[in-house]
Amino acid sequence: MRNVIARAIDVKRQYKLGKETVWALKGISLDIYEGEYLSIMGPSGSGKSTFFNMIGALDIPSSGTIEFMGADLFALPEEKQAWVRCNKIGYIFQTYNLVTVMTALENVTLPMVLKGASKKACDARAAEVLDQVGLGHRLHHLPGQLSGGQQQRVAIARALVNAPSVILADEPTGNLDKATGAEIIDLLKRLQVEHNATIVTATHDVKMLAISDRIAWIRDGKLDRLEERKDVKFTKE
Amino acid sequence: MEQIGKQVKLPLGRALQIAVQGIRIRFGRSLVTVSGVVLGVAFFMSNVTSQLIKQAIADEREQRQTLNLMLTLMKSEIGDLSGKTVALATFGETTVSERDLLAVLRKTPGLTLGAPEALGGKAHLLLVLGAGPATASPDILTAGMAQPVLLDSLAERAYPSAKPGSSLAQVRRELFFGRESEEQADKLKTQAEQATFRTLWIGIISILVTIIGIANALLMSVTERFREIGTMKCLGAMSAFIRKLFLIESAMLGFAGAVIGTALGTLLSFAGYGLTFGFGLITAALNVGGLLVAAAACIAGGTVLSMLAAIYPANFAARMVPASALRTNV
Ligand SMILES: Nc1ncnc2c1ncn2[C@@H]1O[C@H](COP(=O)(O)OP(=O)(O)OP(=O)(O)O)[C@@H](O)[C@H]1O
Ligand SMILES: [Mg+2]
Repeated sequence: MRNVIARAIDVKRQYKLGKETVWALKGISLDIYEGEYLSIMGPSGSGKSTFFNMIGALDIPSSGTIEFMGADLFALPEEKQAWVRCNKIGYIFQTYNLVTVMTALENVTLPMVLKGASKKACDARAAEVLDQVGLGHRLHHLPGQLSGGQQQRVAIARALVNAPSVILADEPTGNLDKATGAEIIDLLKRLQVEHNATIVTATHDVKMLAISDRIAWIRDGKLDRLEERKDVKFTKE
Repeated sequence: MEQIGKQVKLPLGRALQIAVQGIRIRFGRSLVTVSGVVLGVAFFMSNVTSQLIKQAIADEREQRQTLNLMLTLMKSEIGDLSGKTVALATFGETTVSERDLLAVLRKTPGLTLGAPEALGGKAHLLLVLGAGPATASPDILTAGMAQPVLLDSLAERAYPSAKPGSSLAQVRRELFFGRESEEQADKLKTQAEQATFRTLWIGIISILVTIIGIANALLMSVTERFREIGTMKCLGAMSAFIRKLFLIESAMLGFAGAVIGTALGTLLSFAGYGLTFGFGLITAALNVGGLLVAAAACIAGGTVLSMLAAIYPANFAARMVPASALRTNV
């Protein structure tokens, strides 16, 4: 049987803007399985990023919760939440969120530095991962000296460096041209297959559909439907 | 199934390393922050130094005035000093002005200075200095002088009474330092009070300017990194670690800025007053102890202020939900 790595339980999120209340999430329940490639699709403003932030413990639900590795994520003390973020989840954002004053290598070492690894171990591992994403020749460049696609690869390398079980990618190809976007998608797929990582991406990009195992359609803060795409996956391979 | 672990708490040494590396890779920006602190502290320190120098100049001027008064009195008694003989009797401690007077007299060409006994009757004038009571009566001190003239630096010096029958009619006692009249004393007191008030006012304004300058520099340097703090939290940083990082960083930047600012403020003030009044005057007269205390206070104050200004926003960002920290756009 497939293991559930993360489980959303009736997750709601409201934003208060003055007197008005906006319900970004109106109660989403969803199981995420170990090793699957799950795409979260939906129109702009439907709540994808909001949901993505909940799974990654980056935001707190107004009600409902996320179970991660069997534990209530939002009931955990800070050092356990930090451990999950550091060791179990790799984040990839549409806007990369690299530290602009740090080189590619320094950016990628951050998650290792934060868990107390030695500088030597950090540098060696970061160089290895950057090489894997095809940036072995750009270790000492600053993000500003890299193209958008290259910056996103640095972000991917950073997400990978601690070998997390889940990679959360919120519109990873949103700022990239078609060809570069396709390369990033291939890279994510390879991660899933080669490292048995769980990939969750929020996206508008229909190219993602072809390689996803499941697609969760979100509309207006609710889970609209869930589709299995096993057949597509098999014909692709 | 694998259990959820606890994130390690990075030791202080590692945090120190990371903070230093952070300052290094942001060197240009760090310099801007430091200059903010430098400006604030320099402004304050130059005010303090100016105050000390002004005080010193005023004291020095008063002394010089006293000296000039003494010389004028002597000249009015015996005319031009060159070629004259002056007997000198000192009782007890001498003041700075008295020592200055002696130095000037010794340098005056053609003037002979000596003890009353040694000079005998050759002296044109007897100078009595010092703060203590006289051990000989005026007639003995002026014995043999053709026209006994006695100038005393104290109005109410105690003298042993003269031998009965000796004439004191020609002995004149002049005051170098009389006690000021009450009216004068009141006037001086109000003047002093006004000056203190002015000093206090300038002090308060400069403290405010300094606080705002430093707080602004550090606040900016932290708030513009909210996104970075959010990113660090995404990657597994704990609030306490982020606080520690900014505390170390702001302490180092603040200390560097405060040291440079203190030196700069002192130098500028020195240069300004030195060029107008002469460096000799101000270095000779300055209260070095006071200056050192002010410098130490400035360095400590600048550093602590920088830390306070940084820790508030850093703490705020560290406690923020990562998603909101990431959304900030400063
Ligand atoms: N910080 C916030 N304050 C107020 N409202 C918010 C906030 N963040 C999101 N929202 C609202 O929540 C809803 C969902 O936003 P969300 O960013 O999750 O959409 P999305 O599906 O990711 O859209 P997109 O595809 O454009 O990224 C939107 O209506 C948005 O206006
Ligand atoms: Mg979004």
